[in-house]
Amino acid sequence: MNSKCESLHHSSQEPQSESDNSNSPMEYDIEPCGRSRNTTPANNLLFWTQCQLLDSILPTGGFAHSYGLEAAIQAHIISGPEDLKTHAIHVLENTGSLLLPFVYTANRSPDMETWSRLDKMLEATLTNEVSRRASVSQGSALLRVAATVFSEVPSLKNMRDALLVSRTLSFHHAPVFGLVCGLVGIDSETTQRAYMFITLRDVISAATRLNLVGPLGAAVLQHQIALVAEEMVQKWMDRPVEEACQTAPLLDIVQGCHGYLFSKMFSS
Amino acid sequence: METGIVVVEKVAGKSTVTRCFCKCPLKLIIPTKVGFPNTDAVWIYTLSYGGGLVSGDSICCAITVGDGCTTVLTTQASTKVYKSVGSKCSEQFLEARVGGSALLAVIPDPVTCFSTARYSQKQVFRVTSDSSLLIVDWLTSGRHENGEKWDFEFYKSTNNIYLEGDRPLFLDSVLLEQGSCSSIAERMQDYQVIAMVILMGPQLKHLQTQVQGEVKKIMSTQFYAPGMKRKSEHCQIKPALIASCSAFGPKSVGVVVRIAAMTTESVYTFLRHQLASMEPLLGASPYC
Repeated sequence: MNSKCESLHHSSQEPQSESDNSNSPMEYDIEPCGRSRNTTPANNLLFWTQCQLLDSILPTGGFAHSYGLEAAIQAHIISGPEDLKTHAIHVLENTGSLLLPFVYTANRSPDMETWSRLDKMLEATLTNEVSRRASVSQGSALLRVAATVFSEVPSLKNMRDALLVSRTLSFHHAPVFGLVCGLVGIDSETTQRAYMFITLRDVISAATRLNLVGPLGAAVLQHQIALVAEEMVQKWMDRPVEEACQTAPLLDIVQGCHGYLFSKMFSS
Repeated sequence: METGIVVVEKVAGKSTVTRCFCKCPLKLIIPTKVGFPNTDAVWIYTLSYGGGLVSGDSICCAITVGDGCTTVLTTQASTKVYKSVGSKCSEQFLEARVGGSALLAVIPDPVTCFSTARYSQKQVFRVTSDSSLLIVDWLTSGRHENGEKWDFEFYKSTNNIYLEGDRPLFLDSVLLEQGSCSSIAERMQDYQVIAMVILMGPQLKHLQTQVQGEVKKIMSTQFYAPGMKRKSEHCQIKPALIASCSAFGPKSVGVVVRIAAMTTESVYTFLRHQLASMEPLLGASPYC
């Protein structure tokens, strides 16, 4: 958390300030008394907001998606926990290179104009129908939930109402996530890391439901992968959308096959 | 600064090259007799001196396909990208304008990057709502028979299609870089070829539906849910060729097919078979 988030009532018009010190190594410094220096009432509240946004209980439908895992299992590309780890890492790498730029840009300028441009760009960038549909369903669900839950940020609801009228928009997940986090006052580094977290969370959760790994094994795996995931956050964060690219084409091809599966549990 | 410029326009009712310029390291060859004599299509072969790109080569080509014209852009063999010297990258840029009711087919052989090679390619297509486009963009793992599998340093390929000026219709970039987190070979598993085919526009509408159906048919036998009865043992190993189709754009104006395969020949066979019905439009069947 950083010190600029004094208020949850972050106006949509207000650009993220230049003084954004999210990269400051001081942010986790502990005061001699053992209390974090950022312990202000606003920051405490922001912590609850962050947790809620990252909680799998938030009804955005993340549980319906396996990020290509189900197709990869049925194609016999993945057959055990070791392959799962590799798969999760590739999903994260691809998410970092392809989607973090959209999360970042939407978070830094959480306004309608930027967001609409990002949404149209991502619609053209997600050329894989399966992941495009997954992104649209999670994005529209997240915006609906956020507009209802975070009623103290009226711009969220206003924006959603205005956007629903327009028929040219798709509500892709990454820009919606960046926008929502930006409006509730979460800084851009935390937002990008959070996006990687929910991606990992959903892959791991899908793996347990596909019986690839037990719940305890899944937790161990999630913790192990966190190290790699953090490396990827460092590598791919703060990039402009013009640099967005796929880094795991095989994954994309396999995920695109999801529609061909005869029996399936997930929608992507 | 362009190393190649081609303009194709209708002259006396026939697609005709009205401007052609090229300079080292690019050579353009425009034979007049490809396929049936009565087909209205211009075939352009892009060649490079020495059969490939040496480190630091930069090719920049602009092509304009006028209203109602048909143009094919192809190669005679795979584009080799030789070992890099220092951190120098080999580059190719293509900027194509495709007019109304025109068709551009970009059907090269694959790019093959040698070990340590660095290669970057960007193709930008500007189309109108009734232009047609066939793009094949593909890459092999290197000289894999010699044991060079995904051994290059850097590969980036961008294909962007813009509609009527600046409206993004299809934006795609693939980046393969030897990484800190995983090597390219690790990400590709046993697959040696990655290919992408884009079919777009009214002249290819029929082909789009046909390819979507065929790919679905090929792939539906390749997936088995755990516990499902398997027809034979071979179903337990991963497929030698994986393909998936997706529609894109408003009103599903285009279809993209992505392919991963274990051999180059299997992709040639796939392309030859799927694109065979282009023959009447182009005067010859692609990849034959």
